[in-house]
Amino acid sequence: MSAFGAMVWNGFREARRNRVTVVVGAFAAVVMLSSTLVTEVTVATFDRVLTDFGLGMMSLILVFLTIFLSSGLLSREIERRTIFLIVSKPVSRTQFLLARLAGNMLTLALLMVAMMLIFDSQLLLFGAKITSTQYVAAAGLWFELLVLSSAGILFSSFAGPMVSAVCTTGLYFAGHLAGDLLDIARRAESETVQELTQALYYLLPNLERLNFRSHAAYDLPVDVTTFASSAGYAVAWAMVFTAISLFIFERRDFR
Amino acid sequence: MTQPASPDAPPIQAQGLSKTYKVGFWFNRTVRALQGLDLEVGAGQIYGLLGPNGAGKSTTIKILMNLVRPTHGSAHLFGQPVTSAATRRLVGFLPENPSPYEYLTGREFVTLAGHLSGLTRHELDQRVTEVLGAVELGSAEKLQIRRYSKGMVQRVALAQALVGKPKMLILDEPTSGLDPVGRRQMRDLILAERDRGTTVLFCSHIIPDVEALCDRLAVLVGGRRVREGSVQELLSAQVPTMEMVVEGLKVDQVKGLGVALESALALDGRVLVQVADADSQRLLGSVLTAGGRVNRMQPARFSLEQLFMDALKESGRATSVGGEINT
Ligand SMILES: Nc1ncnc2c1ncn2[C@@H]1O[C@H](COP(=O)(O)OP(=O)(O)OP(=O)(O)O)[C@@H](O)[C@H]1O
Ligand SMILES: [Mg+2]
Repeated sequence: MSAFGAMVWNGFREARRNRVTVVVGAFAAVVMLSSTLVTEVTVATFDRVLTDFGLGMMSLILVFLTIFLSSGLLSREIERRTIFLIVSKPVSRTQFLLARLAGNMLTLALLMVAMMLIFDSQLLLFGAKITSTQYVAAAGLWFELLVLSSAGILFSSFAGPMVSAVCTTGLYFAGHLAGDLLDIARRAESETVQELTQALYYLLPNLERLNFRSHAAYDLPVDVTTFASSAGYAVAWAMVFTAISLFIFERRDFR
Repeated sequence: MTQPASPDAPPIQAQGLSKTYKVGFWFNRTVRALQGLDLEVGAGQIYGLLGPNGAGKSTTIKILMNLVRPTHGSAHLFGQPVTSAATRRLVGFLPENPSPYEYLTGREFVTLAGHLSGLTRHELDQRVTEVLGAVELGSAEKLQIRRYSKGMVQRVALAQALVGKPKMLILDEPTSGLDPVGRRQMRDLILAERDRGTTVLFCSHIIPDVEALCDRLAVLVGGRRVREGSVQELLSAQVPTMEMVVEGLKVDQVKGLGVALESALALDGRVLVQVADADSQRLLGSVLTAGGRVNRMQPARFSLEQLFMDALKESGRATSVGGEINT
């Protein structure tokens, strides 16, 4: 295994041995299975509600976990000084940071696969349809988690885990409201408000662009170019956040 | 990425290293941890950094390991700037109060360190077993590090420093937390590494360790280097003091013998005398002539300890501890 691969693998191992991940994983399984109780009543729209609920829960739980994990990725290592024993090896700080991000995304991907398995077996159990847009929605979520992870890493490259978690949570909500900013900008009378809201829009990742859950619920097709441009948008934001993190992280002191 | 390190270049070369930490909420106060330190360590040497708490030893080591950036000055390892990651292939590092990932077992951690040091899978397993054996953790290798005692953590951290077969070891207080047997083993291990041609830089305040191990040393006080040289050079420049226990004479009688004393202290029925080594034989003769007995005579302190104390005194600082704090 290369040094980079070893660090990525260790990131996954760290998450797996972290109680929070385990508890959240178990909780997710229980919640998703319990969706059968919720959906019992609404027979007519059974498929839709099941999909909506399942994917919605998945998103909520994984977003929470992403914020928790990513906001500690660098800061906890610096606080506990575990980083001394890693960056004193022949690996660059850039490699270290990218490996932490990759390890986190690997963990989230594997959790997501496990959740999709539960979700699909449930759909099968109730004879509901498994559609490709459900997978498109899951993939969209993964790209959203990528943006959030790289933001969490950015904050944790200079702030402690608590502050990073708060900032990342803030970015999550702001990111989902970003689309509304454009509406405000369009409707605003005053030109300054228009310019301000528009400027703010471009400073925030529009996370609604990665939300395909309603497509999945109504089984509407998502065309390839839409998805590809959304994914590209997410990757671009992740790259911006990561580049800033690297700039800070390469220069800072570990004391 | 970077040029390969040249093994012929001196393992450590640093000029004019200074480090000022900014502290306080507004970063408006400063601590001068290091001021214009020069350091050169030649291949195969065991080099000691000696100094009181807060003298800047760990700061120096952190600069060499690229954990902290110097405010001024430059530092090179094997001819490459310390920022070069590839050069660290040649270096094993044991930090002060090491903290390995505690969710890993000892074996998993050292294996990770081996991967990071660039060992191939082929040699890794055997090498990990080897170093875990060398630090006597073989029986605890399957225990998570969170279950380790302080000394065991120190040992596993030493194992990860050794796993890549480094050409140089940088050890920050290697014997801290170790039991007497462990301390002995650490010394033997350092000497064994030296015999294999490994260069060692270590810092410590345990003077007997430094005296037993070092070829050369530097004494730091308040971030400045106040002494530097080979141990022999430094010690031969010392004026050693002898300590003598005299019986059968009163304090005043001993003082009246006409030999300059550094101090004379009455204990019950005995007198504890400190005298310059050059005068000690004369004092011995006078005591015997006066009808007293000398029942013990020995160097007053470890000779290095004295060097250390003199260096502190000469540095002219009110307190030996810490760097210069400006508010
Ligand atoms: N993170 C930091 N922030 C501010 N000041 C620091 C920091 N780390 C060290 N210092 C200051 O730098 C000076 C040197 O510290 P350093 O840790 O290098 O000392 P040391 O010689 O290793 O001491 P010890 O023997 O106690 O380990 C001290 O005055 C200390 O207060
Ligand atoms: Mg120290």
